[in-house]
Amino acid sequence: MMNAQLAEFLAHSLELESEAHERYSELAESMAAHHNQPVAEFFRRMANEASHHLAEVTEMATGIALPALSAWEFSWPEAEPPETVSYEVLHYRMSLRQAMELALVNERAAESFYREAGKASKDPETARVAAQFAAEELGHAAELERLMAALPDSPDHQREEDDDPHMPE
Amino acid sequence: MAAMTLMTATSFSIAITGAGGAGVISCGDLLLQAWARQGGRGLLRKAYGPQIRGGESAALLKLTADECYTAASHYDLVVALDWGNFTRFEDEISLGPETRVVCDTVGEIPPSVLSQGPAVQQLGLAEMAADTHPDGRVNMLVLGILGRSLGLPAASLVELAAEKLAAKPVAYRDAATCCIERGYTIALDAQVSVPPLGSPQVCYMSGNQAAGLGALEAGIRFVAAYPITPASDVLEWMAAGLEQLGGQLLQAEDELAAINMTIGAAYGGVPAFTATSGPGLALMTESIGLAVASETPVTILNVMRGGPSTGIPTKSEQSDLNIALFGLHGDAPHLVLAPLDIADCVFTTGWAVNLAQQLQTAAIVLSDQFIGQSTAVVSEPRRCPPPAAGPARKDNDYLRYRLTESGVSTLAAPGDSGQRFTADGLEHNEKGTPSAKASDHQLQLDKRLHKLVSHDYGDDWGRRSGDGPIALLSFGSSYAAVAEAAEILAESGVLARTVALRLLAPLQVEALNEDLAGCEQLVVIEQNQGGQLYRYLRGQMDFQQQLYSYAVPGPVPLDARQIAEHVMEVIG
Amino acid sequence: MTEAIKLKAKDYKSAVKPIWCPGCGHFSVLNAITKAMAGLGIDKDDTVLVSGIGCSSRLPAYVDSYGFHGVHGRGLAIAQGLKVARPDLTVIALGGDGDGFSIGGNHFMHACRRNVNMTYIAMDNEVYGMTKGQASPTTPIDWDHSKLTPHGPGVRAFKPAALALAAGAPWIARGYSGNPNQIARLIAEAIAFPGFSFVHVLSQCITFCPEQTDWKGVVNEREGPALVDADEAAALFLHEDGFQTGLLFAQQRPTWPPATAEPVVEDALDHLAATFRV
Repeated sequence: MMNAQLAEFLAHSLELESEAHERYSELAESMAAHHNQPVAEFFRRMANEASHHLAEVTEMATGIALPALSAWEFSWPEAEPPETVSYEVLHYRMSLRQAMELALVNERAAESFYREAGKASKDPETARVAAQFAAEELGHAAELERLMAALPDSPDHQREEDDDPHMPE
Repeated sequence: MAAMTLMTATSFSIAITGAGGAGVISCGDLLLQAWARQGGRGLLRKAYGPQIRGGESAALLKLTADECYTAASHYDLVVALDWGNFTRFEDEISLGPETRVVCDTVGEIPPSVLSQGPAVQQLGLAEMAADTHPDGRVNMLVLGILGRSLGLPAASLVELAAEKLAAKPVAYRDAATCCIERGYTIALDAQVSVPPLGSPQVCYMSGNQAAGLGALEAGIRFVAAYPITPASDVLEWMAAGLEQLGGQLLQAEDELAAINMTIGAAYGGVPAFTATSGPGLALMTESIGLAVASETPVTILNVMRGGPSTGIPTKSEQSDLNIALFGLHGDAPHLVLAPLDIADCVFTTGWAVNLAQQLQTAAIVLSDQFIGQSTAVVSEPRRCPPPAAGPARKDNDYLRYRLTESGVSTLAAPGDSGQRFTADGLEHNEKGTPSAKASDHQLQLDKRLHKLVSHDYGDDWGRRSGDGPIALLSFGSSYAAVAEAAEILAESGVLARTVALRLLAPLQVEALNEDLAGCEQLVVIEQNQGGQLYRYLRGQMDFQQQLYSYAVPGPVPLDARQIAEHVMEVIG
Repeated sequence: MTEAIKLKAKDYKSAVKPIWCPGCGHFSVLNAITKAMAGLGIDKDDTVLVSGIGCSSRLPAYVDSYGFHGVHGRGLAIAQGLKVARPDLTVIALGGDGDGFSIGGNHFMHACRRNVNMTYIAMDNEVYGMTKGQASPTTPIDWDHSKLTPHGPGVRAFKPAALALAAGAPWIARGYSGNPNQIARLIAEAIAFPGFSFVHVLSQCITFCPEQTDWKGVVNEREGPALVDADEAAALFLHEDGFQTGLLFAQQRPTWPPATAEPVVEDALDHLAATFRV
């Protein structure tokens, strides 16, 4: 029996998690290429987490006919899916704390998205799943806050420390 | 018309001049075509004033016994439809006491003409033409007069004129017929000595058309075109041909676009070609280097003209050898070829296309205005056979720039599955990924060089003839003047062999050395000021023989007699 | 030809990882291109990305399709030659503001005019990034961070959309690197559009123009459909602040080359050779 609302929700959730996974992977590679190992490793961990959640949602969606949507056909509160760190807020010398702050903002955005989706849905199944996901994101956010609290005090990157740009081509 | 007993000679040169849209070129062109139909051989060169229309022009015909076409250095017959600015052609049209001048009774013969002491026959040309038909023109009248004196059938000229005027009103064709026939009633004073006829199975073409034909026959199906004198004819001729073949001609906004469009099409797997002259080639050099570095096959025809810079656009010269050989930045070995005569433009352009495709590189073909824009009667031109098809390769582990024994790697094209790659001007590794590593650079440089120098070019790298202790070396179109010079030298008992280079890069040093074995003195003959071929050969080879340079720039065509005299001087 | 399996955006990425600075807007364009390709179900083997020189021109290597990384400013010429010779391919030209509007300016104009069916994506960060931060034709007149023009270029910036319109581009859109999904949609529409489709992307340069992070606050998405009247579009492009995003102008017109009425002639080569026989 077709539950259109659930299908729509799961499609969004899949996109959200796979985008998160993709984005964190990209950022990890970019940071690694620029020798910011702590941040690269952090983004790599976040990518792994996203892929676990992605696997979970994929499992949940088996047997359900999902709408085939192009990337721009999804409805998100902002330009990009929540939990997708924008490319533009990065800096190659950003500190681990700054990276974690970005991730935290995104975890909270994801939690908010799922929570709102749950409240707005008239379908009980969808509402249940959405609430479950929101709870998971809350858990992630809490974990991140703990990690951040445990960080040693260190300065955020200073612009003056930036290398002089050089001409590769 | 009574058959004329014509005396025979090795050549007979006619200059037909006129101004203000006199139709001089048509006259010369039709005459030569009719001559060809009888089995006659000849060359037509054209000279113009700078005006777009209505200027002075000259049809310079040389009827010959063979197909070794040099420009006439001296004219047997000068037919001036009028004397408008005739002095512009003084350099080109030299006359002497043996010259017959035919002109109108109206109009003053220039003193510079009379001072040469020619025999003059004045006819009421304009009056006769007007009298024959309301639309009668002097050039058709003169065509008739010349047709008679050459012993050509009037019907042949009438037919050819009708073909040429097919798009014009019927009255023009009638006028032409009447004037030609009227011309046949007029005998020239003196005897005309014409060369003997040969087989009438001939072609009539310009070097530019021949090059276009060679390119299409070798498989070119994309041409990017930016007009430039004297190469525009090539592109225009190819435009019609391409359409019939399902190919494409794209008019570019400049030569920078033209060469890059050519590269784009070639990357798409469609054999691609462009034509230009010196200034255009100069613009193209950066991107020709891109073709070399990315191993994208392209063929560029450079119809050389007077340089440097804007130079003398309507005249010939062989002064682009340096830029063709050395104009690419970096170590960018590539092919440079030069057709030896008008008919050879078919073979050499076809060969260049084949080589460029096979070796995945850029081929620059050095033609020039002399062979490019002259039309000549030639036996069926030799064609370059297509290369033996290698096995169709598709690599499971595709490396676009794989290091192979021959240096040639498999070239995929968009659409081929499992062979995706990004072509790059950046130095790269075997995969095509940009690389700044010393080893990758050395390996790819070696690959791009090796694939060219290890290829077997066979015997077509040059045209050799004769024997003797003297060797006359040349490249491209100067072949004919050099061959004629060798004949003149032979008359004086000086035996010279001639070696005309068709493939200039990679230079076939070993084969050239073999051909020069036994020579004591070498004279390098070329039409440029800097002795570009001379210096190139000196740079590439260790000569055991004494090497001399005969380098004379354009715009006047090379003169066999002057070459022979120079050779006599230097060899002592 | 690959099978008609629906690939995901990430499947269109090659194994080569971008070397762009973290924070660079071009990541968004790469993301958008792959999403557009996935959305359209485009065949990798039938797609060619063509670029010139610059940071943005490195993009073709990051996509798993065919590609050509050409010389500075000439990517559009390569792309047009390719498309005309191989109309069956999807051809996307891309490059930066220096590559496209300075050295490549002439080719940009003529590409708009010629209207070959292809897409051109200009990643505009208003600076020459690759060569260490010189002013480009779209750099603001008073930007004084380049040693070459320490008092600012002193010359008014080009308006690429206005140039494109005047030169004849039938389809003009603008995107912003802060919104890759919008860019993706525009690119998908651009590819589908029969004609020369120009996507002008404001793509920030974190290294030489960190102030461009302020763009976020001024970009505004166009409400309503694209303009179809060239006069209205001219007024818009000449007077807007350059930050309106979306499909801005779309007016189809005949593409080049026109569908040929001439059938291929059998034995054409023989006929051509025969024209020279006397």
